Amino acid sequence: MHISEGVLSAPVLLAGAVLSLAGLTLGLRKIKNEDIPKVAVLSSAFFVASLIHIPVGPTSAHLVLNGLVGMLLGWSAFPAIFVGLVLQALLFQFGGLTTLGINTFAMSMPAVLSYYIFRKMLKKSRNIAFIGGAFGGTSAVLIGTLFISMALIETEKSFFGVAITLFTMHLPVALIEGIITGFVVLYLKKVKPEALG
Amino acid sequence: MKRIIFMIIISFFICTNTLEAHKVSAYAYREGDKVAGECYFVDGSPCKNSIVAVYDSKGKKLLQTTTDEKGKFSFKTQETGELKIVISAGEGHTAEYRLEASEKSEKKEIKKQEPFKEAEKKQAPSINRDEMKQIIDEVMDAKLQGIKNEILDLRKQMDKINIRDIIGGIGYIFGLWGLIMLIKRRKNAS
Repeated sequence: MHISEGVLSAPVLLAGAVLSLAGLTLGLRKIKNEDIPKVAVLSSAFFVASLIHIPVGPTSAHLVLNGLVGMLLGWSAFPAIFVGLVLQALLFQFGGLTTLGINTFAMSMPAVLSYYIFRKMLKKSRNIAFIGGAFGGTSAVLIGTLFISMALIETEKSFFGVAITLFTMHLPVALIEGIITGFVVLYLKKVKPEALG
Repeated sequence: MKRIIFMIIISFFICTNTLEAHKVSAYAYREGDKVAGECYFVDGSPCKNSIVAVYDSKGKKLLQTTTDEKGKFSFKTQETGELKIVISAGEGHTAEYRLEASEKSEKKEIKKQEPFKEAEKKQAPSINRDEMKQIIDEVMDAKLQGIKNEILDLRKQMDKINIRDIIGGIGYIFGLWGLIMLIKRRKNAS
């Protein structure tokens, strides 16, 4: 899910940076002081999630957990994911500093979408909450691949080719993430329902 | 409570032995007019059938080849200047390797070897300079192969993700958010 350096042209990078900057300011403004520990925890969960790999065909895909981050944080997912990405770029050379903008947007925007679409389901009964969490987790990854393919249009020429490979490659990961997200939601409902409220 | 849950999840993540990512690395070296190299993902698995493009120092594309099943590639080139080798493994993953210009110490070699050659001629006139150079090259290549493999292994290990970085990263994240919290609190107080 990380686009590395030197793949994209300057206008695409700039567009990503501008969009992410908008999301970041909005997200930072929305964070309440007492929510910051929650943001920090999810930020580090996102940071570590990318190290868990699931081999798919010739390459491998990793967990993203952006759906979970999004559904618990809303717009604050932007700063949470951004911080995770900065450290991944600095410590592991995932992605890169110039592609931070586009990568942040491609992972945070689907997270925010999951928040708006599935958040209400999390407050309902256990079964509905699990389904909401699972769908939120899965769709965030898949929509993320769509954003990434859009960013790669220029370099890879055939949009549908890339979109389909990325989509199918991430399908198993997305499903696993959906299940993980669903269980995390169930657990939170049990031990800390106010986190979902 | 939630923090504890996530700590458990995170520690589970760390304990799993699959700490990998698809960062791509490449490594290449010269062997006479041949350039050989290898391309691999950060976990050490090879980049199969990836496109390898070679550029000269001016950015002009010289040639293109692909990696084999083991992620290895090789090509012949007369270009002695700096080479830029770009390997694209698809889906936005690329690796770049700069191969330094090959040393032009031929002239020195000749001067050094001239007296040698004279001495050689008296004892063993059957071996001329070119043949000797070839023999030395072959022996050196065979001897250096081990070191080359060692360097490649070391490089692979260096590219691997280590736990120190992960724990350090988590520490940085908490520190950073703590700082943000501090700043926000100060703002609210004033």
